[in-house]
Amino acid sequence: MAIRFKSLSYIYDKDMPYAHKALDNIDLEIKEGIITAIIGETGSGKSTLVEHLNALLLPSEGSLEILDYNLVANQKIKFLKPLRKDVGLVFQFSEYQLFEETVIKDVAFGPLNFGFSLEEAIARAKEALKLVKIDESLFETSPLELSGGQKRRVAIAGILACDPKIIVLDEPTAGLDPKGAKEIINLFVSLNRQSHKTIIIVSHDNEMVYNCCEETVVLSHGQIKYHGPTLDLFADEKILKEYDLLEPQIVTFKNLLAKKGIKVSKQARTIEMIAKEVAGQVKR
Amino acid sequence: MSLIEIRDLSYSYNESKKAVDGISLNIEKGSYTTIIGHNGSGKSTLAKLIAGLLPIKQGEVIVNGLKMSEENLPEIRKELGIVFQNPDNQFIGSTVKDDIAFGLENKRVRSEDMEPIIEEYANKVGLSAFLDHEPQNLSGGQKQRVAIAGILAMHPNIIIFDEATSMLDPKGKKEIKKLMYDLADDEANEITIISITHDIEEVLQSDDCVVLNKGKLFMHDKPEKVFEDAEKLRQIDLDVPFIEQIREVFRKQHIKLKAHDMEGMVDELWRFASNH
Repeated sequence: MAIRFKSLSYIYDKDMPYAHKALDNIDLEIKEGIITAIIGETGSGKSTLVEHLNALLLPSEGSLEILDYNLVANQKIKFLKPLRKDVGLVFQFSEYQLFEETVIKDVAFGPLNFGFSLEEAIARAKEALKLVKIDESLFETSPLELSGGQKRRVAIAGILACDPKIIVLDEPTAGLDPKGAKEIINLFVSLNRQSHKTIIIVSHDNEMVYNCCEETVVLSHGQIKYHGPTLDLFADEKILKEYDLLEPQIVTFKNLLAKKGIKVSKQARTIEMIAKEVAGQVKR
Repeated sequence: MSLIEIRDLSYSYNESKKAVDGISLNIEKGSYTTIIGHNGSGKSTLAKLIAGLLPIKQGEVIVNGLKMSEENLPEIRKELGIVFQNPDNQFIGSTVKDDIAFGLENKRVRSEDMEPIIEEYANKVGLSAFLDHEPQNLSGGQKQRVAIAGILAMHPNIIIFDEATSMLDPKGKKEIKKLMYDLADDEANEITIISITHDIEEVLQSDDCVVLNKGKLFMHDKPEKVFEDAEKLRQIDLDVPFIEQIREVFRKQHIKLKAHDMEGMVDELWRFASNH
């Protein structure tokens, strides 16, 4: 099963003089079980695209098939709750949405809302907090007392506690320090590897995209400009230039090596992998 | 005499832990200093103490010869401006023009004198064409530039950037960093820049780098020196520049690279390879 956008368009303020087409006739099939990145400049439609995945926005034209649900333009939907349980969306700067008195209550809110018993909701919240490495000593404190990185992780735990089948992250690491960012990305990579969760990440961090995301979608002015293997995308200097995409440093390094005739395979996506391959060609 | 002198400065939000712990350092006039450290290392607290946004409880901060105190605060505040992290939280006016005017009004500049000042500084940050625009029509980078214009119009000696680029997209980051570098290079105005950042590329552009760890001063040196010891940085949860990561990983393969840039390293590898 895949996630299918079919000729989907989204128009902000439809029928108004300042109507704006944020998504323009999108045909896209996102594979389940892998990590897919959505990239493109600010205003290209990335957030609008992912906000369709759990019906925060409904298509103005066309349709979206996701899991067993079908969202069709101008049709009422009856399955909002189960869809939102199955597709967890972590917003940009999600920490601004923490609101409960304590960390544990905040994380348990989702499962409670989806009909789990209090006991079950608390158990799920505890498990999710463990996954995001929030220490038990913080469970009863106010979320407002936590550091920025901790707050972000609590917000993510709130989504994980609902055990969604698909996790959508809108710039999950923006504003975090490098260590905090790495921890969050590692968490989602391991969730994908261990439980085969489908993960969709909106990001500006092309280094991370290159390193962790199997496929990438490039959006520009509400249209899909590329969708395919991440490694192929970043090997294509022409596309990178055309859509003003920052080349990951590791790709710059690979290209310099290639220009000097030092061979590195396309699959090498870390310095470690490159060094091993180069060491075989070098006499010390 | 240094422009900013910090002596044995400590601060704690609660009794159990010191956010800033016995820091002493000097910052010279006209210099561009970056402050780095993991989350919770005390970077923002230190900046707030320098800016007079937190009361000094222990130790001293001396700005341009004036000791930071309640009494001296109004005088010291005139010396400095701060650009915060979130571009949406510092837009006060309803248009770009109003926003830049806000500080001038507080300074009781007559409204007929304001126009040229506003134009001058909007121009300086490249926003002269946007004077009548409303904040919701601006990008994050443009909002930060408006904040900077408002600060520059007040003629500060010191500008503190508190992670001013961290919430921006790559384009916005580039815009603001370029503006910061231009300000640092502007010798006529000799503005002292203090920037709290996680951006290694930016640190490499600065004159001096202050590294904090758990509230304490860990290092204060030229950026190249700071990044020399990758292992040491990693121990305090800091990122290592890409070039140093390459050096480190190849060392493990028993290949010693000496160059200071990627091209140089690739040349070295090529020379090793062609020695076969």
